[in-house]
Amino acid sequence: MNNSKVYDDRVDTDSEIDLRQVLTLISRSFGFVKGVKGLFICKLLMALVSILPALAVPWILKIIVDQVIMQQPFNTAEVPFPPFMMPFINMIHDLSPPEIMFSVTALFLIALILFGLRAPAAEQAQEIAQAKGFDAATQSEQALSSGGSNTSGLWGLLELSLSIRMTQRLGNALRARLMGRLTHLEMTTLDEQRIGDSIYRVMYDAPLMPEIIYRIAINPLLLIITAALSIYLLQFSYGEVTPELVWLAASLIPLTLLVTAPFSALARRIHQKNRASGATTTNRMEESLDNIAAVQALGGLDKESVRFEKSSEESFWRHRLTVALDLILIVIRTCATWIVMAIGFILITDDVIDGTLSLGDYAVLSGMMFMLSENAAAIGLYWIELQKNVAAVRRVFFFIDYTTETDGEYRSIKPIKKRIHLKDVSYSYPDGRVALKQVNLELTLDNLVAVVGPTGAGKTTLAYLLPGFIRPSEGEIFFDDQKFSQLNTKDIRQQVTYVFQEHMLLSSSIRENLLLSNPDATVNEMIEACRISGAMEFIDLLPDGIDTPVGKGGDTLSVGQKQRLSIARGLLRGTPVVVLDEPTAALDPKTERKMMAALKESSKSRLMVIIAHRLSTIREADQIVFLEEGRIVEVGEHDALMAKPNGRYRRFVELQAVQ
Amino acid sequence: MTNLDTKEALDIRAIFPLVWRCWPYYRPQLKHILTYIGCTILIGALFFSFWFVADDLIQNKIGVGEPLQPLQAQLLMLDKSYLTGDDESKRLSDSQRKQVRAKVVILTLTFVFVVFIGSSPLNYYQVWIFQRVNQKLRVEMLSKAEHLSLKHHSFSRTGDAMYRIYQDSATITNVLQWLVTMPLRVMGVIIIGCITLIFFSAWFALPIFFSIILSGYVMRKLLPVIRQKSRQSREYNSDLTSRIQENLAAVRVIKASGAEDIMISRFKKESQNALDAAFEMRFYNSVLLLLSILIGMGSFIIAEYFMATWAITEKATSLGGIVALVGYATWNIGAYQTASRQGEQTCLQAWELSHIFSVAQDLTVGLKRAFHLLDLEPEVTEPSQPKIFPVSIQSIQFESVYFNYQKDNPVLAGIDLSATVGSVTAIVGGTGSGKSTLMSLLLRLYDPDHGNILVNGINLKEMSRETIKSNVAIALQQNVLFALSISDNIRYGRDDLSEKDVHNAAKIACADGFIADMPEGFSTELGERGGKLSTGQRQRLSIARAVLRDTPILILDEPTASLDAETEQRVMKNLAIWGRDRIVFIITHRLSTIRSADQIAFLDKGKIVEAGTHNQLMAQLGPYSDFVTAEVGNTPTETNYE
Ligand SMILES: Nc1ncnc2c1ncn2[C@@H]1O[C@H](COP(=O)(O)OP(=O)(O)OP(=O)(O)O)[C@@H](O)[C@H]1O
Ligand SMILES: Nc1ncnc2c1ncn2[C@@H]1O[C@H](COP(=O)(O)OP(=O)(O)OP(=O)(O)O)[C@@H](O)[C@H]1O
Ligand SMILES: [Mg+2]
Ligand SMILES: [Mg+2]
Repeated sequence: MNNSKVYDDRVDTDSEIDLRQVLTLISRSFGFVKGVKGLFICKLLMALVSILPALAVPWILKIIVDQVIMQQPFNTAEVPFPPFMMPFINMIHDLSPPEIMFSVTALFLIALILFGLRAPAAEQAQEIAQAKGFDAATQSEQALSSGGSNTSGLWGLLELSLSIRMTQRLGNALRARLMGRLTHLEMTTLDEQRIGDSIYRVMYDAPLMPEIIYRIAINPLLLIITAALSIYLLQFSYGEVTPELVWLAASLIPLTLLVTAPFSALARRIHQKNRASGATTTNRMEESLDNIAAVQALGGLDKESVRFEKSSEESFWRHRLTVALDLILIVIRTCATWIVMAIGFILITDDVIDGTLSLGDYAVLSGMMFMLSENAAAIGLYWIELQKNVAAVRRVFFFIDYTTETDGEYRSIKPIKKRIHLKDVSYSYPDGRVALKQVNLELTLDNLVAVVGPTGAGKTTLAYLLPGFIRPSEGEIFFDDQKFSQLNTKDIRQQVTYVFQEHMLLSSSIRENLLLSNPDATVNEMIEACRISGAMEFIDLLPDGIDTPVGKGGDTLSVGQKQRLSIARGLLRGTPVVVLDEPTAALDPKTERKMMAALKESSKSRLMVIIAHRLSTIREADQIVFLEEGRIVEVGEHDALMAKPNGRYRRFVELQAVQ
Repeated sequence: MTNLDTKEALDIRAIFPLVWRCWPYYRPQLKHILTYIGCTILIGALFFSFWFVADDLIQNKIGVGEPLQPLQAQLLMLDKSYLTGDDESKRLSDSQRKQVRAKVVILTLTFVFVVFIGSSPLNYYQVWIFQRVNQKLRVEMLSKAEHLSLKHHSFSRTGDAMYRIYQDSATITNVLQWLVTMPLRVMGVIIIGCITLIFFSAWFALPIFFSIILSGYVMRKLLPVIRQKSRQSREYNSDLTSRIQENLAAVRVIKASGAEDIMISRFKKESQNALDAAFEMRFYNSVLLLLSILIGMGSFIIAEYFMATWAITEKATSLGGIVALVGYATWNIGAYQTASRQGEQTCLQAWELSHIFSVAQDLTVGLKRAFHLLDLEPEVTEPSQPKIFPVSIQSIQFESVYFNYQKDNPVLAGIDLSATVGSVTAIVGGTGSGKSTLMSLLLRLYDPDHGNILVNGINLKEMSRETIKSNVAIALQQNVLFALSISDNIRYGRDDLSEKDVHNAAKIACADGFIADMPEGFSTELGERGGKLSTGQRQRLSIARAVLRDTPILILDEPTASLDAETEQRVMKNLAIWGRDRIVFIITHRLSTIRSADQIAFLDKGKIVEAGTHNQLMAQLGPYSDFVTAEVGNTPTETNYE
């Protein structure tokens, strides 16, 4: 078994993401910040302010220890307080210890309400996501609405709300964009693309993009500013007393970066595979649930369960790998920081024993060191964590970059008035199979054209050309005198309607299914289209008529009913060209006859191309095109073709004649 | 699609049955869970007692220079000169303090390294355990969903089931943590905190109870809102999943209808709905947490004021008794540090509690959605003592079978039909007359409302669905192929069959020709939903799939609708030979196929209005002969051209 079979994923597991690609992906993600400029700037400013309150806490605690409990006088000469503390110090300078304590308590209470001082940060949205036993999909769902603030209190609430909104907008912009691209993929690409995989990309990969912006722009900036500020404060107050300590604190960040960086390539690979295996699980589930009738009828229930179980197991296992990696990193990083902390402890206590530092200073310093080490830990991990997002975002950008039908420069179209001309058209599918060879054909409006031929002859392929589902590999098609290759796919579809051989309805009401093709249609137009296709016959019998829901994919209708409804939907668009792929295959002769008469009638004002096997459908056509092995063998009216003694068409008809 | 009412009252009692339902999923992991919990408690206790001792050592002994307690000296392996001795006011010398410090550093580092590194695999272990739990639920849900009757499926959305299986089921992994262990831990912390604090001073009970009662009140007000938002968020997200799934499954139609823009704008709207709900849920959550932290921390800060002032006056603590280990007989700096840390911890539990409760809302909503799927009962039930399928099949009888999908809209209204071995029965009728429905009853995809279906006189209801499926094969009217290789598609559901069987079946269905032309023959991978093939090719794969099963009963639902006359005749000829000692049902509109049947059943308005051979029925001049005239009227007879 090759890789593609294991993951149902064409690209993402084989090729490595190299550093350059990582950088490109990051910068592309940043392109999306434009859409949320305002929020982004607000968030950044608010986050910068959020750093500050936490910095004051150790100093206030120092006052409690030194000035309140130990009852020492303020000694600002030896260990000066940082400047932002000075107004407060001046206020309480001359108070007695209990009074100082009272002021401190008041300050704490005010800061608690405003900034949630000493309270857990308002980052709770993340918390549930960290719960254990999830896999990548479950986590991403949470990621889309994550956000955070370093503070709590009113400020934290505001910042949290802002940042959740920003994350959501970013994620949503990306997933809407992706969804748009996916629906515009070329028909042949769609054959290859698994639905479950697409769902995974839209629902679970795209939400990881906003984190890139946090990880690259906001978090490191905040972390570095916090770190720099704390180091500056250390330097300011303790630079004289213990310069070594300041150096030690400053070394924490580079140290953790150094020990974790070597793991980034590994992290990327693990995350890539994790996501691909998640996509496979989604595929399995989607395929079996959506085709449940077949699964049940064919006795595939156990098989599907086993398939799902295996792939779900695999995705859990892949996710566990990422957990293991995280654990290894945490252990390495923690060991490194603890050693640094131990050295710091020795330095501080030396001074405490010497009497140069007070016990309050010890509280400040160890608090600062602890904060710095947390900071360093976060910075050390952020590059690694980023790899996870990069792996996901690449899966998204893969399809945003994939060529779609709408790419390229085209002219706008003039409505088709007279004819469609296929000149030396050949077509081969991407897997190399040649489906059409040197087809020349002229189709005129106001005609009913039947395309006939053995199965696999290329009838559907020929018909696919007209609405531009595929474009000729060789040759050219002319709409009047406009070259097809210069026309925009969207414009072409305004002229040509295609009704598929296999009917696909949406799980909504009949009305909504009809409106899909023409949102502006009036009820009368809908009824007219249903009348022509013969769908009115059964719609009339339904309890809610045109507003009856049709169940999942139209499952509550019989196949013949679905077919007629699909045809009505096609006719409702009112385009000059209509292509119907086997419109009568599932119909009984009576219904077929009525439909053909109605279609013949309505082809007076347009070009109606019908693919069919049944003679009864074909006979009425103004022009019959007989196709065999990708070539046009005969063209003409029924009677003319029947007159040829050894004609292919004649033989085809005779086989069907009642013996 | 709302299956749950949104207004049900907040009821903590409702949580217990839910937790209880999760038990079977946790049960198999019980051993692991207990091991895990045991290890965590052990490590937690180690850390707690370690810091309790270390704090005193660092603050009072290293920092101030007080002598050691005997136990501490023993632990640090230091001699008697470090002990209090007789002199109450004795202080350690600087070098002694450094000695103590060196020991503390070494001890701490060893402790941290050993315990921390030793305990980190626990995290992995925990993930593994909970994934097991989730896996069991997921798999059970999918297989439940698949076993539900088609009646259910035709009215529910694929994306909804997917969302339940994927996202809602995952909440089960949080049940233990958020509904059991965390509340227990919070209780534990509160109790330990209360006890310690009350040892210091009984007054501290006051702020603790105050903060717990007040935050309880806030929770009562806010939790219902949160739960409602969480439910909304899950529902919108599952709608969104359905939307994406349906759009992608019908993407060709959307293209052909030029409806891409409409679809995208609908997608955006639903996506926005989902995001708004998620946002609101988080917002109310944060408000709740904010209020409870204000209450909890606020009362602690006030308590801290008293601790500090008592420390100034060196007021006696109520601790007294356990001075053996630590020196907190009166309020001093160490006592202040310990009491303040304990107090902070305990008051923070108000926040923890509301956090747990708000998460619990989301959990219960998610769990209910997951269990809802498990609670659905398949309409087709398995008999308790299934009979075996007759080995040599003789006959099939439909005895006045009634069936409807929805009330008051009978699809089958009294079908009587019998078929014997070696015969081909053609089922004919207008579109929507119930032909496919009739045949799906034979597969027991549905059970008749009234009447019986008998195989050799045994009621189909008395046999299990499994045995029926291995004895009845069907080629569906809508060819469903999977994104597998061609031979896996033909073999689908029967992995035991060999490649040679597959080739034979393909030959009978006249599919071998085009398969040979495929780039990799039988092992060519098909695209999504069997893309890359023409419809006629797909149809023949379906036929091959039915043939391969080699069952005594074969149903072909419009097997040749998309085939040209020549291929049709070849396929039908092969099938006629192959089906000689079986019972074959064919639904078809094609006269050539109908005519060669041994029996023709004409279905109209839910009844078989005529049955017999072609010639018999033509002679009756009933609806069948009308049907034939309609077809022949459309088709030239030989007289026209010969
Ligand atoms: N996406 C695809 N990729 C590769 N080959 C394809 C693809 N779609 C169709 N083909 C091949 O191209 C040939 C022509 O297919 P086409 O669907 O045009 O036949 P058709 O005449 O419509 O047949 P039918 O009557 O059975 O619908 C077939 O051999 C088919 O296997
Ligand atoms: N799952 C369902 N739920 C509700 N109604 C259904 C369901 N499936 C079919 N029906 C209805 O039951 C009737 C019979 O459907 P059935 O598919 O058996 O027709 P049929 O004879 O096979 O028609 P066709 O020739 O078009 O395939 C139709 O009116 C259809 O709308
Ligand atoms: Mg075709
Ligand atoms: Mg049918």
